[in-house]
Amino acid sequence: METAVNFIDLTVLDVTYLLVVGFIGGLVSGFIGSGGAFVLTPAMMSMGVPGIVAVASNICHKFPKALVGAIKRAKYGQVDVKLGLVLGVSAEAGVLYGAHIQEGVKRSFGDAGSNLYVSLAFVVVLGLVGGYVLWDVWKTHRGGQGDAEEKTSRLARWVQSVEIPGTMVYFKSLNARVSVLFTIPIGFATGMLAATIAVGGFIGVPALHYVLGAPSLMASATELVIAFVMGLGGTIKFAWSGLVDIRLAMIILAGSLFGIQLGAIGTTYVKPGVIKVVMGTIMVLVLVSRAIEIPVYLAQLDIIQPLDPHLVALLKNLSFVVLIAALASGAAIVFAALWRGVGAHRRELAAAAAQVTSMPAAVVAPAQTQLSPLGRFERFLVATDGSEYSAGAMREALRMAKRCGARLRVVSVVSTDVEHEATVGPLLKQELSAAHDHLASMLEQANAAGVACETEVLQASSPDEAIVHAAEQAKSDLVVMGRRGRRGLARLMLGDITARVIGSAPCNVLVVPRAAEMHGKHFVVATDGSRFGDAAAVTAGKLAVLFGTPVTVVSVTQPSHSAERRAEAQQAVNRTVSFLKQEDVTATGEVPHGRPDEMIVLTATQNDADLIIMGSHGRTGIERVLLGSTTERVINQTASVVLVVKSA
Amino acid sequence: MINSTFKISGRQVTKLVLYGLPTVGLYALLYAFEDSLLALIAQGGWLFVVPVAIAFVISFVHGGFTAQFWDILGIKAKK
Repeated sequence: METAVNFIDLTVLDVTYLLVVGFIGGLVSGFIGSGGAFVLTPAMMSMGVPGIVAVASNICHKFPKALVGAIKRAKYGQVDVKLGLVLGVSAEAGVLYGAHIQEGVKRSFGDAGSNLYVSLAFVVVLGLVGGYVLWDVWKTHRGGQGDAEEKTSRLARWVQSVEIPGTMVYFKSLNARVSVLFTIPIGFATGMLAATIAVGGFIGVPALHYVLGAPSLMASATELVIAFVMGLGGTIKFAWSGLVDIRLAMIILAGSLFGIQLGAIGTTYVKPGVIKVVMGTIMVLVLVSRAIEIPVYLAQLDIIQPLDPHLVALLKNLSFVVLIAALASGAAIVFAALWRGVGAHRRELAAAAAQVTSMPAAVVAPAQTQLSPLGRFERFLVATDGSEYSAGAMREALRMAKRCGARLRVVSVVSTDVEHEATVGPLLKQELSAAHDHLASMLEQANAAGVACETEVLQASSPDEAIVHAAEQAKSDLVVMGRRGRRGLARLMLGDITARVIGSAPCNVLVVPRAAEMHGKHFVVATDGSRFGDAAAVTAGKLAVLFGTPVTVVSVTQPSHSAERRAEAQQAVNRTVSFLKQEDVTATGEVPHGRPDEMIVLTATQNDADLIIMGSHGRTGIERVLLGSTTERVINQTASVVLVVKSA
Repeated sequence: MINSTFKISGRQVTKLVLYGLPTVGLYALLYAFEDSLLALIAQGGWLFVVPVAIAFVISFVHGGFTAQFWDILGIKAKK
């Protein structure tokens, strides 16, 4: 095959090698936000690819990889897009300046001088930052705080406290307003390092965490946005000069997209400290790799005595092996963490299921029938699709029904739109059969738990309408559903069955994330002072008495609110707390400042709440699409059960 | 489903195929037009859009495939 100048022939072995290295690099990048690509440039060069083409092709695979990783981790609520874009723009400037310095060094001192400059940058930056990251992990581990929530560093607290008028921007990952005069140098340094050693994240992630105060999970996820912006800019620059080998870039991408998905999934199973362990380990090993080559460059510049050619070859090979070992070590830690995390999670789910099915068989006497629908919990409708997302809904419905003495009606909806039925009749029969089997197992669980239960398979073209209709027919007080967690653009385009049921249901809706459990440790009720908030407070009072649970009342004020509006929020909280105390409920109030959904979720997290209770304004259709809904955003972000109270 | 076992649904397989086939097709095209593409991209200038567009399209299709791949194996994020 004849290829254009600069582009090498590829063998099957080359392709396999790139796929494997791409996969491992993607795995590490998905986990720590960057750091998976540094080995690819030397790996391609070892195949005979010219250095500049290797750099160009590497960066061309990085930006789509970072994009896929960022989207994946945004689904887990780990990405601060605004912060990523703000840092990404200043990082672009850093890349240009870094490349300019590189060119200057190369002009003045030649290739050896340029290599020495890069190696020294590696050793100094990775030594300082990597050493600090590992020291921080060790300190936390030694203090026995491995499982504790991460604390914001003293430096980050100071950065967040500095108010420079006209430069302040609110960032959700920091839950604070920070001056862009702090973010610009961080982005710039990230870009400079990326232009020098190809991995800006070794500065970006620690700076996001230690200087700005982002949790390490969010720091590593937000770094993917920065990497995307920088990678896209770099690709355009190199592609403008015709240096990208698209085959190399896309082969690496083929492997790395498998890796980055797995790495991103891994972040949901590990403690935040593991991110730091992986990053610190890789940084220190890469430092060693580069340090090994420094004598070679010093000899080439005649700063030290010339080295024996065999020794030069040995040092270069050793350096490359340590570089590969750095990546392999990172990948091994990620695999081990993922393996342990998935195993522990499956055991937790199994234990939770066992707990429900082993409940005593006696049925609690039904609660007294109320005249007001607020806080009445006598008839529950559980909507299940047989998926794991519905598992939590059934578990918590059983738990709550036992506590309230309620009856359950469990429905499973099978889609039967005309086109679907005509083309895949046998598939429909199969789905109906699976739904019946699933409901039979639900019935067994309810019987074992001593809860009165009936089941029904519904056939409908629109599952949400069928669920709402079933709730109306059964005069249900509560619909219990799982959560799919669809967000952002996907929510706008596709909608979500749970969201649509909330919009149209005639009764309250309990939304249960897959692994959430409601033991009645603490409840958070959100109020905006409206009648919807009051309805939520009345329902919260009834439930708190039933469960004997303390309640925190929260009303959130925003930067745009006037002093009068803030005073109203405080009054609404005081009024609700007084009401709950009259009902013999232990209640406290909070009026945090920020985005309502984020503050409500934060209050729930800080109080270790297992239930958030909110009123619904009941928007549906285009109004919901345009305005969004605080309730819906809370449901998407929280790991707790959410009760949406519908006022009459 | 309260127990931790998982089942592969027809919808999951359909999605895997819907993303998988175009992925294979795109890589086949890349292989078939390897020489022409390299020659085109090597011209540089405004043709920088070619590698950028290829990267975006493949990341979308292959990214969807890899997500489904792990999902169908039961390797999913913890909520």
